Amino acid sequence: MSRIACFVEKYNFSDPREEAALQNFKQTAEKSGSQFSFLFRENIEDIPNYDAVFIRATTDPLFTSYIVSKTAWELGKKVIDDPESIKICANKIHQYALFEKHGVPRIPTVFLSKDDLHHKKITEIFSTLGKPVVIKAPYTSFSRYVEKAACETSFREVAKRFFKKSDVLAIQKFTPTAFDWRVGVLGNDILYVCKYMIPKGKWKHGAKLRGKPTVIWGRTVSIQKKDMPPRLREVALKACGVIGKGLYGVDIKEVYGEYVVVEVNDNPSIYAGYEDSMDQDIYQRIINYLSA
Amino acid sequence: MLVVSSIGLCDDLHALKPAVFLGSSIKDTTINLTNDYRYLKTGYYVSLHAEILGNQVIPSCENIIDASRTPILLLRASKAKIPTVPFLVTDNVKKIITEVGLPVVVFAVNPFIHEGYKVAKNQSALYRAMKSLGMNYKFAVCAEPLRGELHSVKSVFGKTELADEQISALSQKVYELFRIPLCKLHVQKAEDKAFLCGLEPLKETELSKADLKLISKEIMLISQQGNHIGV
Ligand SMILES: Nc1ncnc2c1ncn2[C@@H]1O[C@H](COP(=O)(O)OP(=O)(O)O)[C@@H](O)[C@H]1O
Ligand SMILES: [Mg+2]
Repeated sequence: MSRIACFVEKYNFSDPREEAALQNFKQTAEKSGSQFSFLFRENIEDIPNYDAVFIRATTDPLFTSYIVSKTAWELGKKVIDDPESIKICANKIHQYALFEKHGVPRIPTVFLSKDDLHHKKITEIFSTLGKPVVIKAPYTSFSRYVEKAACETSFREVAKRFFKKSDVLAIQKFTPTAFDWRVGVLGNDILYVCKYMIPKGKWKHGAKLRGKPTVIWGRTVSIQKKDMPPRLREVALKACGVIGKGLYGVDIKEVYGEYVVVEVNDNPSIYAGYEDSMDQDIYQRIINYLSA
Repeated sequence: MLVVSSIGLCDDLHALKPAVFLGSSIKDTTINLTNDYRYLKTGYYVSLHAEILGNQVIPSCENIIDASRTPILLLRASKAKIPTVPFLVTDNVKKIITEVGLPVVVFAVNPFIHEGYKVAKNQSALYRAMKSLGMNYKFAVCAEPLRGELHSVKSVFGKTELADEQISALSQKVYELFRIPLCKLHVQKAEDKAFLCGLEPLKETELSKADLKLISKEIMLISQQGNHIGV
């Protein structure tokens, strides 16, 4: 019998759809004869008492969730999200550099260092990537630090703000699409496939901002795995493959029939009635992975 | 061997500035020198760039992150048989009092505070420490029992200027595990033994002429010994 700790923060229970998904994990684990307990920040000293840790709180090397992940890893536990995946996925510079190195199809990207924020460089970027460009702070999630800039003034304004926390930023060609493919991957295998629709008049999937009143966020359209375009599958698995063997949600844009990776997320959102609607087995597969 | 440095070193080391290295694709064993290896700062991206190029590099990104998170620093150190004090990560004052006891040393465990610690000898001091290091009790802290005297020492490739044998040996071991060329270590001395408590970045102004000399000497030594950086 496996004892699984699910590391959560209070905000994981603020949306009933996420709470329902968490309860699904618990019931699935218990039906399979495992123990499943929610582990909160004040009890992380209990990690040694478990066999596996499943992190649902937002991950980042600077958050408590990293301490949970790395502690569990050092103690030889099974862990989703593992510390290596957190380290790579939480940093866009890291993952884009890996995509480049391993030939994962992606949106044209340049990196900008803090010392390079000057007229010549900005002009050069606009002439390589066109206008507008998309500026991303490496630590962004839920679309929070992803902004457009169409002129040098707004480029400088956004970059200066993002440089406060990170000394390198990612700049991309603006590549709007009606939706992002979201492919769930676990251990090099497809878990689920969705389309995250971009809200009308917007260009970002306005995301589920946990703990905040829901901002505009697009619909989630679930697709049967068997109907997934083969090339989409290939690109999704290749992108995850350069990161690790854990649980990921890959965002992919379809541009003129090509699939390009926007990002790989560790810690992908799982909301009842959304990511699981074609694939109710995602709970079981994740529990099996944790208790194997 | 490639030396990338944000610190002014003597010319015969031929050190590259971080910006130059980040714009290059030089494949070589890399020593990344900065006083500040914080996550998301230039020093971190230098190590990342070296790792992506496939270079052996000190410090590694993993070690940069782990060494700055006190609970992970102590966990990994104790696994490697480096003397550490017990610790508790919590945002609960009462738990610290019952499980760790007073007096206690408190380190921040949050994205915003990356240096310093507070010592609390009584409950109200502990509340104050948790309030400031936990940013109004919002974040957990790492609490360690205070059993002796606290020392803060500069570590340059594991060497300290302090003549204390136990502390020197400890600092060498911490360097062998994490390979952070420049940092400050917080150490407790109790019963004539040294215990690791924490690690934090140095301020550039904390590097003396003697430290710069020591850095050059250590780099020369590494290159004479066949660029062995221990990774
Ligand atoms: N280069 C781009 N062009 C157009 N839209 C983009 C681009 N990059 C990201 N987006 C959109 O912005 C949103 C957030 O981007 P993403 O890279 O996933 O950041 P985050 O990690 O904050 O979610 C997504 O909906 C994505 O489709
Ligand atoms: Mg995204």
